[in-house]
Amino acid sequence: MIRLIKILLILAGIFCFFSQPALAKNRVLTDVKVIHASTGPNYVDPSLKEIISELKSVFKYTSYRLLKDQNLDQRFNQESRVNLPGKRVLVVMPSGMEGKRIRYQINIQKNNRSIFQTRVLLKNNSSITIGGPQFKNGVLLFNISGSVQ
Amino acid sequence: MKKPCNKYTSEDISRFVDNELPRDRYHTLKQHLHHCPDCSLLIEQYKSISAVFNDHADQQGLKIDAAKLKQKFNTAIQNSKKKSLENVFGFFGRNIYLKLASITAILMISLFMFQGDGDLFDPAGPSAIVKSVDTDFASVMIIETQKEKHTIIWFSET
Repeated sequence: MIRLIKILLILAGIFCFFSQPALAKNRVLTDVKVIHASTGPNYVDPSLKEIISELKSVFKYTSYRLLKDQNLDQRFNQESRVNLPGKRVLVVMPSGMEGKRIRYQINIQKNNRSIFQTRVLLKNNSSITIGGPQFKNGVLLFNISGSVQ
Repeated sequence: MKKPCNKYTSEDISRFVDNELPRDRYHTLKQHLHHCPDCSLLIEQYKSISAVFNDHADQQGLKIDAAKLKQKFNTAIQNSKKKSLENVFGFFGRNIYLKLASITAILMISLFMFQGDGDLFDPAGPSAIVKSVDTDFASVMIIETQKEKHTIIWFSET
């Protein structure tokens, strides 16, 4: 009986050692991809291969060019700004976790005025695409992915 | 053993000896004994049997060592407690490696639950759940792709 208790204590120690980093996750790696989608000549940027099939299943565009790819190393409640074409700014802030999802506040500003804001629960290691602003005979798509560390 | 008279049965006599008859019936039988030698004889026989039995029971009772009995009782209680603990901890019998493997498996599953990205519990959920949208523009669409359930928010500036 005493031997079993000793073994249980050792295993509990191992469990605490390994689970500590999991419980202390407070950094979020956010990646913002700015894509120009248009009906120009067929083109798909190689770095978009992971999401292009999903975009093509919804949109009629034939050209997907990556204009910007910005990685953000954030803490919770830390705002980060990404300059977008057309005097727009994307403000993104992970504000916490809800279950296994990252709670994000995303704000798009134009001429220092908020034109769009949303609150989403993003699945960890997954992404959301926000699109619509007109740009150079096409539209802008913002693919935002998040991963807690 | 001699049979009682027709008025009372052997069972009545036996119950009289054991004081188990109702009070009125007990007194009636007691009166009856004054003038019924058969029943009186039967009662004497029952009383003597009862006395022999009681003596034997007393003798056997005296032979029992109270201290030993108490010790046996305590041992039996401790054994039953041990057995109940064995039922909890000894689910896999005496194989300590099987126990360790089981505990490790439980810990690994717990760690996976802590460190996983939730796909285990929500494999078919959308990539993002939209809690709120606030915009000046009239047209906003929320789309979920069929294949990967990728969430797209579309708004039109026009």
